Amino acid sequence: MFRKILIANRGEIALRINRAAKEIGIQTVAIHSTADAEAMHVRLADESVCVGPPSSAQSYLNQPAIVTACEITGADAVHPGYGFLSENAGFAQMIEEHGLTFIGPRPEHIRTMGDKIAAKETMLRLGVPCVPGSDGSVATAEDAAKAAQEIGFPVLVKAAAGGGGRGMKLARTPADLSTAWSAARAEAEAAFGDGSVYLERYLDRPRHIEIQVVGDGEGKAVHLGERDCSLQRRHQKVLEEAPSAVLPAKERARIGETCATAMAEMGYRGVGTVEFLYEDGEFFFIEMNTRLQVEHPVTEMVYGVDLVAEQIGIASGRGLSLDQATLTPRGHAVECRINAERLPDFAPCPGMVTAYHAPGGLGVRMDSALYGGYRVPPYYDSLIGKLIVHGADRAGCLMRLQRALGELVVDGIDTTVPLFHALLDDQAFLDGAYDIHWLEEWLADRPA
Amino acid sequence: MTKTTEEDVAFIRALAAILKECDLTEVEVTRDYGDDDELKVKLSRAMPAAAAVSMPQPAPQLATSAAPAPAPEPRAAVPAPPQDRSDAVTSPMVGTAYLSPEPGAAPFVQIGDTVTEGQTVLIIEAMKTMNQIPASRSGKVTQILVANAEPVEFGAALMIIE
Repeated sequence: MFRKILIANRGEIALRINRAAKEIGIQTVAIHSTADAEAMHVRLADESVCVGPPSSAQSYLNQPAIVTACEITGADAVHPGYGFLSENAGFAQMIEEHGLTFIGPRPEHIRTMGDKIAAKETMLRLGVPCVPGSDGSVATAEDAAKAAQEIGFPVLVKAAAGGGGRGMKLARTPADLSTAWSAARAEAEAAFGDGSVYLERYLDRPRHIEIQVVGDGEGKAVHLGERDCSLQRRHQKVLEEAPSAVLPAKERARIGETCATAMAEMGYRGVGTVEFLYEDGEFFFIEMNTRLQVEHPVTEMVYGVDLVAEQIGIASGRGLSLDQATLTPRGHAVECRINAERLPDFAPCPGMVTAYHAPGGLGVRMDSALYGGYRVPPYYDSLIGKLIVHGADRAGCLMRLQRALGELVVDGIDTTVPLFHALLDDQAFLDGAYDIHWLEEWLADRPA
Repeated sequence: MTKTTEEDVAFIRALAAILKECDLTEVEVTRDYGDDDELKVKLSRAMPAAAAVSMPQPAPQLATSAAPAPAPEPRAAVPAPPQDRSDAVTSPMVGTAYLSPEPGAAPFVQIGDTVTEGQTVLIIEAMKTMNQIPASRSGKVTQILVANAEPVEFGAALMIIE
């Protein structure tokens, strides 16, 4: 087992990793910027090293400084957390070249999954369902009709050279196709000087459902079910829950097994998340995150598993301690991402937290690096805490969430807490009847 | 001209808001309305209670606990390095400080030496690269705050040039 882990991150996730390491009996090193000298992750670690000025590029992303911090403290492993360097294959490689352990997947797996095309090709090869599309561009209206028949309607005609929604036309039925095809071609020609287009199935109102996987890097892998992260604003997740209100147990087992088998075949090491769009009982792969997710506690609450301890165990060579046969989801869990932002426009709101009180009690977990008197710095992302609540079922979980939100006190700065109070007051949310567009539409419809 | 009570109350309320908004502990204002006609307001408040609350102590900083101790002592007893002094040469990176150009050689500078701005005063090794650290100003070296081969953090004070 490792002797000392350097935590290459800040905020709540640095605390999360510090906690897991302490419980295994491993010493910890915090790194920080000059702006974070008073941060809680620095206070709780055994040692700390200031690696640079406030700007992330010169501190939390400063690879040579982080490697040097390992050398001068004698750390033998690095946990990258999420964000920052967690999906940087070059950094993972640099760590290994220095004879240290990167607590995460092999650099080549990070690289493959970081490339959209390579990721999709790999997943298709491993039998993971992707958004169906034409292989390459369609040259004639007849080719387009044939491809669309195979893909299934509605289809989107997209410019091969495109981006930003230009050269993109929707055909809901076969009758719309030839018009959509020629319009997309003309627009693509005008905008990019290249009229080649391809087809892809269009998803109207999908949900975002992701599967948690863990592999030992030696051909064994398990899945820990799904998280429904459909409540998003500007592609940022706002609230996540497990299990999904729309996924039957049989489908969970099937997609979970598909993902676990793919990871086993790949020889994937550590934790990862396979993200899908889900519509009408069908899954479509979007991307894979080769790291710990922000919302990992939702899965931990439902499965009673410490995912960070599992990451550390696998990285140390101890192997996988989880067995698919004994992994059973229990009850329901919800996570609220609490940001230092002012509603209704979600403007970042850094500043002094004059008072902080974390909710507690049975089934309540608050992951946060806040304390009274802490100044939220303006240099980093606005996530200041995650409130995770577990209950016997969804209804009980939401009642407990309401109770816990009522106990939470964050004074001095504005937060997104009122958003969650409002959601708990909405029938569609209470019914679990939402998709990836629902929250933005709901926010737009609310009086300011 | 004397204001009405309501206007005075509104003024005090506005001051209280400023006090809170700007995170001040005390505000004192005198408004002269005329001869022997003035309003004097002094508002003060206690600092946020947080300061008095028992908190986990910062983890020992490298500059003060170079040796990896299994059970680090609280750093309260160790004087903090004078990073904030304007005459300090501070470290531009994390690394290991060397006071001489190579093992066994004479140090770049010693206490009492006069240096000119830009002159190399020590080396910091990071990622197997030796980085020459220049004097930030001309003057006399009065303190050397790091030992040879000692690890240093970003921003750590290395020496004082007066």
